[in-house]
Parts: sequence; structure tokens; C-alpha cells
Amino acid sequence: MAFLEAHNLHKTYRLTRSNHVRAMRGVDVTVEAGEMVGIMGPSGCGKSTLMHILGLLHAPDLDAAPPPSLAIDGLDVTTLTDRKRTQMRAERMGFVFQAFNLVSTLTTVENVALPAEYAGRRRRDALAAALEALRLVGLEDWAEHRPMELSGGQQQRAAIARALVTQPDLLLADEPTGNLDSENTAEVMALLHWFNRERGQTIVLVTHDTRVSEACSRVLTMQDGVIINGRQTEVA
Amino acid sequence: MLRTLMRRKLRTLLTVLGITVGIWALMVMGAMANKLTALVDGGSSYFDNKIVVTDATNPAFGFGNVPMPVEVVERVGRIPDIAVAAARVSFLLDPDNTGSGFSAPDFVIGFRAGFDQGYETFRSELAQGRYTTLEDEGRRVVLLGADLARKFDAGPGDAFSIHGEEFEVIGVLEPLLMFFDTTAIIPWTAAQELLVQNEALEFEGGTDIPVLTSMVIAYPEPGADFRAIMRDIGEALPQTRTVTGEDFDDQFGSTIAIFNAIILSVALISIVVGGLSVINTMTMSVAERTREIGIKRAIGASRGLIMRELVLEAGLMGFIGGLVGLGLAALVVYSANDAGKTSGTVLFLLTPWIGTLGVAFSTLLGAVAGALPAWNAARLDPVEALRYG
Repeated sequence: MAFLEAHNLHKTYRLTRSNHVRAMRGVDVTVEAGEMVGIMGPSGCGKSTLMHILGLLHAPDLDAAPPPSLAIDGLDVTTLTDRKRTQMRAERMGFVFQAFNLVSTLTTVENVALPAEYAGRRRRDALAAALEALRLVGLEDWAEHRPMELSGGQQQRAAIARALVTQPDLLLADEPTGNLDSENTAEVMALLHWFNRERGQTIVLVTHDTRVSEACSRVLTMQDGVIINGRQTEVA
Repeated sequence: MLRTLMRRKLRTLLTVLGITVGIWALMVMGAMANKLTALVDGGSSYFDNKIVVTDATNPAFGFGNVPMPVEVVERVGRIPDIAVAAARVSFLLDPDNTGSGFSAPDFVIGFRAGFDQGYETFRSELAQGRYTTLEDEGRRVVLLGADLARKFDAGPGDAFSIHGEEFEVIGVLEPLLMFFDTTAIIPWTAAQELLVQNEALEFEGGTDIPVLTSMVIAYPEPGADFRAIMRDIGEALPQTRTVTGEDFDDQFGSTIAIFNAIILSVALISIVVGGLSVINTMTMSVAERTREIGIKRAIGASRGLIMRELVLEAGLMGFIGGLVGLGLAALVVYSANDAGKTSGTVLFLLTPWIGTLGVAFSTLLGAVAGALPAWNAARLDPVEALRYG
């Protein structure tokens, strides 16, 4: 059984009463544990929507036929309540965003500790775990700095530390290098690759960048709300 | 949390200021209402077990200052179910000062120690010195109420002037929050002499002056029907007027309740304005932090946690506003009471209970006012929130 299995995922956004956008039109995805899967495709093809559904930020349309299904580690999460999905996100998932999305009023270590606190750890333990995560991404000396004092690359590394502080089963990254220059892109990808290869971290990432997708063990291409191919890549 | 508030210093300051003004008004008005209520409660408690008989033309409620022949006392004592009837002289300390309306005027009262024969249930405590005794009859000694002692800065051993006569202070009462606080208690004979001296013009030539009393304090037997006794007194002594605790409550209780309701309403309006400013600030804060809320929701913060965070933040603003408001109110109350000491107009009574209640209320107000914006924030779609700004 695959770590993540999704079948017949549809998503329609109702912008107005008469204006609907069908962002996904029946997506099937499977991700094995320890895989690093890239999702590529042109803007508006539904890859971010897929990420949101896989990350339990949105639910798929339940009125599709046949009914959609989404299982993570054997657990059917298709119809979980908001409370349960939030708990899943806190305990079993990590998120990296294009815009880093660190909380500006908190220090780097406090930012990184947030998911651990949300997952129920005591603040002291969460901060200790955050320091360890910062050490892994090479930012231990920046723990007490505010995000605005960090460079773009450093902020994204801090965001990766935040995503991994709870040692989640699944790391979801939405255009993680979209706001970075080539040098920082290479650093961030090397970091993600290291976590995938050395720690067996399952990663699903959305990207436009072919250099990024080349680091993935498998790349799925989306177009018009469906996956049109799945390419297996041999990664060195 | 404080850090988040300090991120928007001016807005936080203005919001806290809004609450401060509201709580300040509530505390000051509350302290005034408290003082009035204490005065009424004290009076009510004092009049509870007795019937006060005064001359029918006596203008003051419950305080006789129109002299009557002392024989009235004996006649009241003969009324069935009256256990003890005793004479009491009372007159204004300063005939030109009849009180400010918020405080009882300064009074001098005179009676024989132990006149009540144990029937008096109203209790006072000594702050300094001693009570008057029967041995003091014929002496010029005075026991001062707390406000009066403070007003004249007098204590045991000091001289105290009453209508030009010098008295020695033998004691000071603890504050009772009622008219005894502004009263000078002197022996019966000294009071009688001063009363006669005051009323001398009314007795042509000043000869053959009768023994006078200003009022009769009558203690009914336990379980007696007060109304029936008052009716009997009215029939036997038609030139008199009777007052008991029930009349006192009727006279002052409802008036004070209405007055208190008005001043507290004014203060509550101030509080509502403060609450609206919290709602405004928190709504703006949520709008500004939409993206931050989205991030937190995305990485696992529950709706309850987001809501709790924002409600606590609003509550903290309320708490700070309440504390500052309490501090300012205490300053005003202390200054006003201090300034009023000389005139005897002690307007406010700010108790720890009012202070605690005020700060708790402002904290709750902040939290409640922040609840709606917090609820809206907690319901934000994390993906939509992440796209914001």
C-alpha cells in the first residue's frame, strides 16, 4: 500500500453563483514513503490545488462520481472534520511556501517551534526541537533573529526547519524556490534532497523550475486539472 | 502577546486609552455611588431598631434640631411596648454649614452614656482614645467621628471648639461610612448648655429656661409592632414626628438607587465606547494579520487556538486599560477626598472590591469585544488567508 493514495480528486471553486472554476478534474496520485515527487505544469493547471488537497488545507469535491478518496498512511482523510485535518497537519505534515511565510513578530526559533507547539509539545521542548532543526539547516546562529534580518535563502531554510521540526511523515513544498536566486535555489534543493535521501523524508513539491524537478525521484505533469504523465527519474 | 500589541504602538495605546477613560469613569462614578450607598446603608442600619421622635416642625429627616421640652421623653417612655426612651440633643456644629448633599453635615450630639440600657444594636469602634462615660457629665470632653477628626486634624488630648466653647478630645471613632463620621459626641449636660445657649434668643430674658431635648430615641420591646407604636406616639404627642428604619429606606433608598443607576449608566456608556474601540482595533488587527493567521492555520494551529490567542490579546488590552484606569481613578479619588477634608465633603469611597471588579470587568470587556473579530479570524480559510496581502 502506497503512503499516499488519492483517487478521482475533483475541485471546483465557486467564485460567484454562475461562475465556477474546475481546478481539478479527476486526479489520481500515489506517493510511496521516502519518495520525492515533483508536480509540474503551467499556471492554472491545478497543481497548487492538488497540494492544498494533499495537505488537507482543502477538501476535494465529495459529489464526484465515483466518490473521491484520499488516504495517508492507510488512514482515509477524505471526509475528516476541520479539527481532525488541522491535527493531521500539525502532527504529520510540514509545509514550505514560496513566500517563506515566517511570522514577522517571532524570532526564527519561535517560528520554527510553532508546529511543535501546535502538535502539543510543551514550549520548552518545542524550542529545543526547533534549535535542533535550525542546526540541521545551518541556522543555529540565527535562532534569535527576526525573519526580516535573514536573507531570502536563510528564510526559506528556516521555513524548511519549521516544516521538519515535528519530523512529519509528509513534507509539502509549494514553489519552494520561486522567490530565490540560483545560488539559494541550489542550497534549498540540496537541503531538501539531503532530508529525502538521508532521512527518508517523503516530499511532494510543486515547481515551475526544471532544475528543481530534476532533483525529484518522480515528476508528475499536470494540465487542465488532470495529471497527464508521471515520469520516473533516476536521481544521483 | 505584548510584542504583538507593541507592533502597533499607537493603535494599542489609543485603544488602551479608550478603555482607561471608560474604567476611570466607572471607578470614579462607582466610588461616588459606593459612598452614597454606604451612607444610606449606615443610616438604615442605625435607624433599624429604634424610633426617633422629633418636633413636627423639625426640617431634617431623623435628626432633631428643633428643641422640645424634655418631658416629651417621659411621655414617649409611657407608650406601651416602648422599652427605653432617652433624650438626645443634636445641633449643627457650624450653623452655616448644612452639608454638601453628598455628605451629612457636621453635627454635635449629646446624650448620657448608657442611655440605651443595652438596647442599641448599632456598633461603633474606637480608632483612638475612649468613649464618653457618665463620669464625663459636667466636663467639656468630645468624642469625634472619623471624618471630623481628619477634617480638624484632631486627636485625643487636642482642644476642639464647639460654638466657641473649648472641649478636650477624648477619642476618635473608626470610620462608619455614615453620619457618625461627621459627628462630635459630647456629654448630655454640655450639649444641654450649648443648646440653651444657641436657643437663648427664643426664651425671652433667658430666665426659667426649661430642660430641652432635640429628639427622643425610643427602643421598642423586641418583636413589638413599630407602626402601632408610632401611631400611638402620634396620638399621644400630635406635635411630634416619628421616623424608623423603614421610613429611612423609603426616603433615601429609592432616591439613592435611582441616582446610582444614573451615574453608573453614564460610566457604562463610557465603557461601551471603550469596548467599541477594542472591537475596532481587533478587527483591524485581524485584517492586518490575515496572512499570519493563514500561516498558523496551515501549519497546524486550530481554530480554537487562533481564537484564544486573539481573545487573550484583546483581554490584555482591557486589563492594561483597567489597571491604568484604576490608577487614575485612585489618584482622583484620593486627591478629591483629600481636598474635601477641610469642607467635610468626602465624596468618594473607592474600595479594593470596586478596584478588583473594575479591572476584572475591563479585562472581560476587552476579551468579549475581541471575541467577534477573533471568531472571524478563526474561520478564515487558510489558503485564502495565505494569499492575502
